[in-house]
Amino acid sequence: MNARRATPWVACLLVLLGIVLVGLRAYTRRELQLASGESLWRLTYTVKFQTETAGARLSAAFPFDTAHCRVFRQNVLHPELQPERLRSSLMASRGIDLLTLYPGEQNMTAKFDIHLSRRGRFRAHDQESSLSAQARAEWLRSDKLVQVDSVVVAETLQNIRRETPPSGDLMQRMFEYCHNQIAAGEEEAPTDAVGTLQKKAGAPIGRARALVALCRANKTPARLVTGFVMEENDPLEPRTWVEVWSGKRWEPFDPENGFARELPYNYLAVRRDGGDIVRVARGSGLETHFAALRLPPGPGAGRSKHHSLVALADLTRLPLEMHEVLSLILLLPIGGLVTAFFRTIIGIRTFGTFTPTLIALSFVFADWRTGVFVFVLVLLAGLVSRTFLDRLKLLMVPRLSTVLTLVVLCIIFCVSLLDMLRLTPGAQAVLLPMVILTMTIERFYLTSEEDGTGFAFQLLAGTVVVAFCCYLVLRWAAVGRFLFMFPEAHLFTIAVLILMGRYTGYRLTELLRFRDFGPAHKPTEPRP
Amino acid sequence: MTTRPGRLWAWPGELRARGILGINRRNADFVLPANPRSHYPRVDDKLLSKKFCEERGIPVPETYAIIEREGDIRGFPDCVRERPQFVIKPASGSGGRGITVVAEHDNEKFRTSGGAELELAEMRYHLSTIISGLYSLGGQQDRAIIEQRIIRHTAFERIAVGGTPDIRVVLYRSVPVMAMVRLPTRASRGRANLHQGAVAAAVNLRTGETFGGVCKDRVISEHPDTGATIDGLQIPFWGKLLDAAQKLAEALEMGYIGVDFVLDATVGPVVLEANARPGLAIQVANRCGLAHRLEFLDVQPPEAFAPTRRAELVAALSEMK
Repeated sequence: MNARRATPWVACLLVLLGIVLVGLRAYTRRELQLASGESLWRLTYTVKFQTETAGARLSAAFPFDTAHCRVFRQNVLHPELQPERLRSSLMASRGIDLLTLYPGEQNMTAKFDIHLSRRGRFRAHDQESSLSAQARAEWLRSDKLVQVDSVVVAETLQNIRRETPPSGDLMQRMFEYCHNQIAAGEEEAPTDAVGTLQKKAGAPIGRARALVALCRANKTPARLVTGFVMEENDPLEPRTWVEVWSGKRWEPFDPENGFARELPYNYLAVRRDGGDIVRVARGSGLETHFAALRLPPGPGAGRSKHHSLVALADLTRLPLEMHEVLSLILLLPIGGLVTAFFRTIIGIRTFGTFTPTLIALSFVFADWRTGVFVFVLVLLAGLVSRTFLDRLKLLMVPRLSTVLTLVVLCIIFCVSLLDMLRLTPGAQAVLLPMVILTMTIERFYLTSEEDGTGFAFQLLAGTVVVAFCCYLVLRWAAVGRFLFMFPEAHLFTIAVLILMGRYTGYRLTELLRFRDFGPAHKPTEPRP
Repeated sequence: MTTRPGRLWAWPGELRARGILGINRRNADFVLPANPRSHYPRVDDKLLSKKFCEERGIPVPETYAIIEREGDIRGFPDCVRERPQFVIKPASGSGGRGITVVAEHDNEKFRTSGGAELELAEMRYHLSTIISGLYSLGGQQDRAIIEQRIIRHTAFERIAVGGTPDIRVVLYRSVPVMAMVRLPTRASRGRANLHQGAVAAAVNLRTGETFGGVCKDRVISEHPDTGATIDGLQIPFWGKLLDAAQKLAEALEMGYIGVDFVLDATVGPVVLEANARPGLAIQVANRCGLAHRLEFLDVQPPEAFAPTRRAELVAALSEMK
């Protein structure tokens, strides 16, 4: 069978295969049943506050992945706030820091879809097996609310020690003291360690602080954990419990509800430094609202075993941090598709085959205004410096590397300049494909030298047009989500590309180029 | 010059009816099936093309020196001391990029055919950029060829500005299907490259006489700089030129190629290079599409392609509109 005839068949086969695979997975997904003891939850944060200046900071902590809990989807909306950094430290908390851009009322909502497992089948990401000297010092520290150095704490510890037989478990006794001897307080109950120990009554957080103070006074590192107990509740109140370093691992204790060393699986840790889940600096009127809702079984969490073939194709099972990178990679072929369309069907010429795709991709993940600003400035600076470098008559590789270095410096200083102008750039602007930009500068320069500036600008315009169209397609969030859910849908991409590869019709630009062959044309000066 | 008021575009059906070949179809139906990838170096590497020509007695510009390494550049002044005129070109260049034609020099200062004056250091830098692969197809290391400058034939005196015209013959299955002569203009800075503004005139395959013309994809019939008509010129040595083109196409074993010639005042047609993806502007110059001619050849019986019978095919093709 010749190539021309085989092509539609191959494309059809790929489309069929794609339909079967996507269909099968969509069907099994619908049929998903959760194993017994497993449940899906949606935890929602709604945050509102006021600021009078730009630059106020909102810090929100996000739930940890533990053996019992896995966040499989996360969606944070902050229309007027600029992300400062995404924290993923395992020590204190995961979360996000946001800066306000304008004064006024500010909003943030965050939704987490969480898979809870009673059996603890997930890979925990928060396990520490040793404690550094610095961390040990931190978790033995005395502060305003956990007054480790206080006489009251020392005396209480002394009393507990006295009552504990030499072979007894001092840790267990301290916990029991806080659970049994300290009463749950009324509304006015103290919230600090000393107050709670003195009054023998305290708020839940007071009892937790008392236990931490006792442990630390006994030279055992201990910390407060803030989090949620996942129950269908709106509003859902944050809880505080204690983790104590056993020498090998952190052991949880909940003096309020009497759980020692083992917590029910629906305890969800969010912060491990005693701080509030959402905090605001230089703002006022903070209102936080948390809610938990049980979800029906759905995509992203299922029964699929870790090693099954279906699980291999299910990318949502991967840790959240990998989602963004994988979505980005999955979008690349779509960029290729757009480029192929422009080149073979429309006939627009560009600098480099994938240059427009990569530029568009970097704009999708940076704020596009920053992206365009940096892009234009880098291109201008690159061209000026390239013209200058030409006079030095450098060999190719050192010359290209010089341009690359200048491009890198230019991007870095652009980011710094934007920051100085209080235009708080997205750090992702740095994602601009620097090597590709360098090659574009070199090609632009050579083309304008060899084939004229007009032609070089024509190519540049083509590159920008294709990049813009790539950008429009790539930022279509639904495409990204669908591909992440069903990566096998790229079989359709291949099918379309194969069909395009055998397209022998005219390019749109050729209809213009050969317009003199239209019927309006009568050959001039016919040969005698 | 004739400019044509009319529509801004043509419909695909109209182009198809006129037999216009588009880039996609050229690549998918002719270049890809007819030109085996493994033979591409024979046309992409000018040194290799030259070797093929020399082995078959097809005239090519005499090679004075080949500069392969940075170290060889030091010897450059010695290579050209005895040569008042010469051409420097990259072995794997394309589209006329990186070619410098030196019209006179005193081993210190070099005057190009375009009138620019270059220092020896600048010539050395130029050689070094060629070697580093600036003009080569994939950006790989390249070689610089220093070769004879062709003295252009008097036939073209009035219609070539600042450079040497060249003659492109497109061959399919070793049969010439279309030909044109490309004339440098001021806009093309003395180069015979159409996308840089050179003018092309069609050549009647049977007679070797020019007709029609194209500049920047638009139909014209006079040289834009001199105003001389580019119509009705007889290309000297036409028969010899077609023979050489066919011999070379057979030797290269490429089914669909364009062969570029220049006419030397004494030797006659000299092969400059061959191209595995010849451009499509030749159709505008000829005011006729390539597709019908290629399809015509595709349905001919194999015996029609015998060297002795090719003249019949050429005659038939030249009558096609």
